[in-house]
Amino acid sequence: MKKRILSLVLVVVILVFSAACGKTDSVPQPAEQGSSGTTEYRDTIKIGVDVDPNTLDPRLQTNVTVMRVGELVFSGLVELNEKLEPQPCLAESWEQKDATTLVFHLRKDIKWHDGNSFTAADVKYTYETILDKDFGSAARARYVPIKEILTPDDYTVQFNLSEPYAPILTYMDHKIVPQSAKDNPGFAENPVGTGPYKFVSWSKNSVIKLTANDSYFDGAPATKNIEIYTIPDNTTRVSALEAGDVDFIHSPLSPQDIPRMKQNDKVVVHQTSGLGVTFVNFNHQSEILKDRNVRTGLSYMIDKDTISRDIYQSMDTPANGPILPASWAYSEDIKDNPYDPAKGLQILNDAGWKDTNGDGILDKGGKKLTVKLSTHTEDPNRMQALEFIQNSFASNGIDAPVSTFEWATFSSDLTAGNYDISIVGLLNINDPDRGLYIQFHTGGGQNYGKYSYPELDTLLDKGRSTSDQSERAKIYQQAAQMINDEVMWKTLVFQGYIAMYNKNLEGYTPMPSGQISAMRDAKVKR
Amino acid sequence: MVKYVFNRILQIIPVVLGITVLVFFIMRMIPGDPAMVMLGQDATPEDIARIRAILGLDRNIFVQLFSYIKNMLMLDFGNSIFLRQPVLEVIKASFPATIELAVTALIISLIIAVPLGIISAVKQNSWVDYTSMAFAQLGISMPVFWTGVLLILLFSVKLGWLPSFGRGESIIEGLKVLVTTGSGEVLLASLKKLILPAASLGIMGSAMISRMIRSTMLEVLDSDYVRTARAKGTVERKVIMKHAFRNALLPVVTIVGLQFGTLLGGSIITESVFAWPGIGRIIVTAISQRDFPLVQGGVIFLATTFAVMNLLVDVLYVVINPKIRH
Repeated sequence: MKKRILSLVLVVVILVFSAACGKTDSVPQPAEQGSSGTTEYRDTIKIGVDVDPNTLDPRLQTNVTVMRVGELVFSGLVELNEKLEPQPCLAESWEQKDATTLVFHLRKDIKWHDGNSFTAADVKYTYETILDKDFGSAARARYVPIKEILTPDDYTVQFNLSEPYAPILTYMDHKIVPQSAKDNPGFAENPVGTGPYKFVSWSKNSVIKLTANDSYFDGAPATKNIEIYTIPDNTTRVSALEAGDVDFIHSPLSPQDIPRMKQNDKVVVHQTSGLGVTFVNFNHQSEILKDRNVRTGLSYMIDKDTISRDIYQSMDTPANGPILPASWAYSEDIKDNPYDPAKGLQILNDAGWKDTNGDGILDKGGKKLTVKLSTHTEDPNRMQALEFIQNSFASNGIDAPVSTFEWATFSSDLTAGNYDISIVGLLNINDPDRGLYIQFHTGGGQNYGKYSYPELDTLLDKGRSTSDQSERAKIYQQAAQMINDEVMWKTLVFQGYIAMYNKNLEGYTPMPSGQISAMRDAKVKR
Repeated sequence: MVKYVFNRILQIIPVVLGITVLVFFIMRMIPGDPAMVMLGQDATPEDIARIRAILGLDRNIFVQLFSYIKNMLMLDFGNSIFLRQPVLEVIKASFPATIELAVTALIISLIIAVPLGIISAVKQNSWVDYTSMAFAQLGISMPVFWTGVLLILLFSVKLGWLPSFGRGESIIEGLKVLVTTGSGEVLLASLKKLILPAASLGIMGSAMISRMIRSTMLEVLDSDYVRTARAKGTVERKVIMKHAFRNALLPVVTIVGLQFGTLLGGSIITESVFAWPGIGRIIVTAISQRDFPLVQGGVIFLATTFAVMNLLVDVLYVVINPKIRH
């Protein structure tokens, strides 16, 4: 008996050691060298992402990986280019018949991965389910102005809107699903699309495997297979790239890893401004923050440059307002209060906030200047930025206790208005309307600070109803300047988009939106 | 013995029920709800209320609890709100990965801890003793995610010996392939992926166990019957392994049992660092999304495993300790 146990232990030890001693040639793995790979290029691109998809149905996405997989498996009516301008995709052309009627003419040569033809009925089905309140799509709010969807023939779709809604064309990049999904309860786990890659398998929390759709309407993809691995830890994801276990990773990444990876000659680090902003949100319902002078004073005490340089390692850059540099509406002329704590203190003093009792904290009418600062724990950089701001406030006589919560708790406090000042982020701002309307319009769903400025409401409404892009740009620039002047919120940084990849990955162009549809043209040299 | 085991099994029932009620209320007491997370930042309060109603979260909390327990007794843990599939399916798919990791970590712990504990007791106050106890101290003090990152940097990035993340086929699947086809490639690939996460978790466990073995061995080695055994002229190896170690094992078994629970808990972090697709990561994600049914199901499963493990330890205790048996 003893001998048997001993031999079993020995076998285990030998196996473990033999496993440990074998050198892993991660690039390429033997399994990757399939018949379709050429001797020069590998047949599989491996991508590392931070979260596992909650579903593979793009209508029900609640995280970024669903979008990333969707960009390879599905297609939208339009596709946004690097300037966020809509380009033809499933729709070969479109026309704005009047302010509330948008007509798309679809390509006739498109097949679903299961061989069925793509038609206007699929488009109608997709958008009708998104708009169905009971369906629970997080995207619904963006399409609410769609009143009716008509399909005059198999290759024409007409959207009738309840009001003029200029951003709708940009939002038409939503991925289209086949109407057969209605009768297919397993669709979310075994999706059928029209994109460059076909779904093969999904091992939960581990890997999604895709294979090339050789009859993709824009030509067969350059690489046979794509594997998308879920690696939640930022450091491990970077290590996996360094070790050659994956070929491509992208934001979110820890800013601290970037300088090190820039030194790595096997890796390309691509850094650009992304589609998100991080901002300091002031609650206008707070007795203290209701006063514009207080907000202005505090605004001068926030050092965006140091936060960007020291906390974000310049990955996220100081922002001049809520319009992204990647947007067609961006202007360098939008001005924000610079960092000038002395001036900030002077403004507070002028507003009546002075340290009358010598306790080091400003007060007015017997009330201390106390503002509670909060953010969420998922982003350590935001927590650091919050502490930095607290320090700056404290050294200027402001009592600023800090509290951090995980997102679900924090967001419920935000919605309920249980906060004074918080650091929040906003993602996927592919049109200025998306980053301004529901955030600043009176009664907007995401108007956490409960702002209500009729003049701003008028501008935001006008931005929606104007179709001319240069005209819209002027309107949004005016709105952004008003937001800065009134210190409704203070835009802290423009979120950077970082892509790091194997230097042997050829033909890939990173996009500010983070979309990876261009991976269809990419290949990895052996 | 059978009666004892039966009684212990009966005791598990109130424990699991208690945990169910506790988790049920805790999840609902913390702010934030799944409807809000599901609909994202763009949702209006009306949309959130509507989805809450569809999910049944607007019902009286006790009605929700009783309906949950009633279904649970029929092994229906409901559907995950975000994954939109039965909780039991999600658990079935991920639990084996966690068990594989925890069991391997325990084996690694024992492989390291048993010789280390015995040697440092036998060679008390020698450099061997100091070195091994310094290792134990280090193992206890180093957070498991830190050990994990260091192991990845050394074995994956620098040496390139082992994969940095993920899980291959299950070890059982690998063994099946080995037996049926004679090819060890699948098993080897799986072991390569398993070794780093299991080692980082195992090092933590080994530290505790080796200290425990050392102190109980020291106590036993000092006892009269060991002196008698030596006086009889018994070979030293036999004295240590047969007379001393067997008796020193008793408290160690308890610790190993508890350690398995710690490893199950610790695997939550290890799973995140090594992208190991186990139940720990699923529970963490589910908590942040307020996926109530999935958190409840996952915690109940982990708690039951822990309770069963404790039961096994108690039974093992009886088996190896003749005093209790009689």
